[in-house]
Amino acid sequence: MTKCHCGEEGVVFLHYAEKHLCAEHFIRMFDRRFRKTVRMNKMLKKGDRVAVGLSGGKDSTVLLHSLAELRKDLPFDLIAITIDEGIAGYRERTMVPAKNECERLGIEQKIFTFKDLCGKSLDELVKNDSDDLPCSQCGVLRRYALNKAARECKVDKLAMGHNLDDMAQTLLMNIMRAEPSRIARMKDPMVKDSRFVQRIRPLMMTPEKEVAIYAMLKGISLEHVECPYARFAFRGHVRKLLNETEERYPGTKFKVMNSFLDMEDALKEGYGRGKLSQCPTCGEPSSKGICRFCSMIK
Amino acid sequence: MAESGSVEIRVDNEKLDMEFDGTIGELLRELKLMREEVVVKVNGKLAPETKNIFKSDKIHIIKVVFGG
Repeated sequence: MTKCHCGEEGVVFLHYAEKHLCAEHFIRMFDRRFRKTVRMNKMLKKGDRVAVGLSGGKDSTVLLHSLAELRKDLPFDLIAITIDEGIAGYRERTMVPAKNECERLGIEQKIFTFKDLCGKSLDELVKNDSDDLPCSQCGVLRRYALNKAARECKVDKLAMGHNLDDMAQTLLMNIMRAEPSRIARMKDPMVKDSRFVQRIRPLMMTPEKEVAIYAMLKGISLEHVECPYARFAFRGHVRKLLNETEERYPGTKFKVMNSFLDMEDALKEGYGRGKLSQCPTCGEPSSKGICRFCSMIK
Repeated sequence: MAESGSVEIRVDNEKLDMEFDGTIGELLRELKLMREEVVVKVNGKLAPETKNIFKSDKIHIIKVVFGG
């Protein structure tokens, strides 16, 4: 029996809920969850100026699409910010669907590059025999670049495409690396500072596979391509572990995420609110002296 | 019940020709693919892992979870 409750043929089986859904009911469930996440977490308000961090991958492209839809009921300004890290053979391929989707939806896209930001592409930085893995370097630089770009574009919120899998993986990675203070600031920063543009993650309760299914059902064109540096990432091991566990024990990812949400306030309390100073090199906010961006590109 | 026999299977762009009798979920396990990381189209339409595969079916397994 692979039928949806409406009698139509199911296109997906949600193992964690033990039910089949047809295309129409899957899309309805996806949209409802998206809106509930935005509403329950008070992510947006009327008149906000919002930028989507748009890489052109499935998550950020679906996020752009869903936010554009949401604007029909909640008016806010929406733009897209794309960071070109300079990864040959990868980023230029995902930038095509990013540009196409912006044009299709009539959304302004601003492109910023690592090269403009620090004089080097990620490929060039990686060649420089750094102690940091490519994904660590890219993570620090991309966060810095996105925040700077968002400020330059005068946005109130920066919407990120992080999905349920990303959030659950990050939580487990921080536990495995014995960095509990990072868990406390996984969703929101410990210190509120006007120089940090507020980040929102409307897909944080949506499993990664469902984002892909939604894109397919909605006819959103995507390039299925893997970053050449992904093989170095610790995240890959955690992803495999989590996906194997999810297959055996459906609902695990939701349980990990809900555990985080339950613990979040206590963790923030436990790890204090701290103070921010200013990086003496670039002037951006930093928790201790020279910021990670400046120490990485020196 | 699924019919036993050779089915046309494609994993991304790689074509496989194999005897198979069972559901999509069982096929994924046989191919050592994680169901959390792929979506499957049967005769061009998205299908759940619980669906039985028939001899004349064209199966396309698409990897959708990547690092990056």
